[in-house]
Amino acid sequence: MSVNNLKSDLVPRIIPCLDVAAGRVVKGTNFKQLIDMGDPVELALKYEQQGADELVFLDIKASVDNQPSALAMVRDVAMNLSIPFAVGGGIKTMEDVHRFFQAGADKVTLNTMAVSQPDLINQIASQYGSQSIVVAIDVNREAEGELAIYTHGGSQKSALNYHQWIREVVDRGAGEILLTAMHKDGTGSGFDCELLADLGADYPIQVIASGGAKGPEDFYDAIRAGADAVLAAGIFHRDEYTVSDIKNHLVNNNISMRTTT
Amino acid sequence: MKPVIIVDLKSGNLLSLENALNHHSQSLCRVQQPKDYNFTGDEILVMPGQGRFAFIADQIKTLRWRPFLNDWLSSGGHLVGICVGMQILFEGSAEDPEARGLGFFTGRCERLKHPKTPMVGWAKLDSYKLNMKDQYAYFVNSYGVPDCENATAKVTYGDAFCAAVQKNRVYGFQFHPEKSGRFGRELLKHVCQ
Repeated sequence: MSVNNLKSDLVPRIIPCLDVAAGRVVKGTNFKQLIDMGDPVELALKYEQQGADELVFLDIKASVDNQPSALAMVRDVAMNLSIPFAVGGGIKTMEDVHRFFQAGADKVTLNTMAVSQPDLINQIASQYGSQSIVVAIDVNREAEGELAIYTHGGSQKSALNYHQWIREVVDRGAGEILLTAMHKDGTGSGFDCELLADLGADYPIQVIASGGAKGPEDFYDAIRAGADAVLAAGIFHRDEYTVSDIKNHLVNNNISMRTTT
Repeated sequence: MKPVIIVDLKSGNLLSLENALNHHSQSLCRVQQPKDYNFTGDEILVMPGQGRFAFIADQIKTLRWRPFLNDWLSSGGHLVGICVGMQILFEGSAEDPEARGLGFFTGRCERLKHPKTPMVGWAKLDSYKLNMKDQYAYFVNSYGVPDCENATAKVTYGDAFCAAVQKNRVYGFQFHPEKSGRFGRELLKHVCQ
């Protein structure tokens, strides 16, 4: 049986990602300097109106001190948004997970903690269901060509084997992976379609591609390579393209998209 | 307008559902046990459900909703079931074969026949109902009811399954109207009239 023959009415999702710090949307020009980009609810609603299928909020300066403001932001977003959203950054314990779900998040994303404490994936999946847990995987193609998994916002190389890790997160109960190709991130040279194609149509959970989008054709390539969803930040925040610009391009190239009337 | 009562089975966050229903300027409250509210029969029950089929079935029993809901359904009461809150209106589920549904609709939930589960995302509804026809709805599920004579919308994931069912004033949605954008909000408003 070829899995390619299996029918699905699911359409690929376009997911803007918002970086937040202390309850505000920010843009980092370098590690020290953060530029305030505005109110999370306002920006979230803007993307929802443009046709975003889902949103991801990443707390890039997550710390214990900042958690109250992060939770207030999640509550605020939940009260205003009518599409699903995930939150990530600063989630270290099951207690944190409870707090974010109670505040109204639909999903949490784990990156560093998934690597350092993988049992957290199992715990979240068994208590809230696989659909509520997205494991973010930062992968880098090293100079010698092999694939390495990084944590701590891409600053620390782990000892994990990429091919084992993408299987392990499935076994532990992740519902989706958010795959960021670090060697493509911010380069504007497109997503890593080779990585996406390698996962294949029988990889058992949804794959969100991230990192490297500069234009609508990059979204097209990622979806054709097998991505179930595509996440991007910069090109939306810099107003280079709206979500609807991207969707129109895809629809014109015979990829079904959720359209809002 | 009739009051809307959320059947609170303590199965996850109700914030976005409450928020979606609140847009309709209708009186709204959550009730954990039928004895906690003075029902007249003229209310609209909204029953969300997240988690396993057996968990929801257990909660319905433990919180003493089972006889109440059976009476409600058999006497033509108005009810909206969402996700596992819809599945529980059927007879049972392959997820937990021992657990009993309410049996209001005929049929059972089966595991979705697609290599990628859970199904997560948006799908276009195949429906003859004008308020659902060709609309995109947000799904999060690994099980679904393959067929039902009361189906009002279907989608395909592996095989076709019921996205929505309706019999008289009882509505079931396998997808999440509270997460399905403006379409979902309008649909909730429509079925809560």
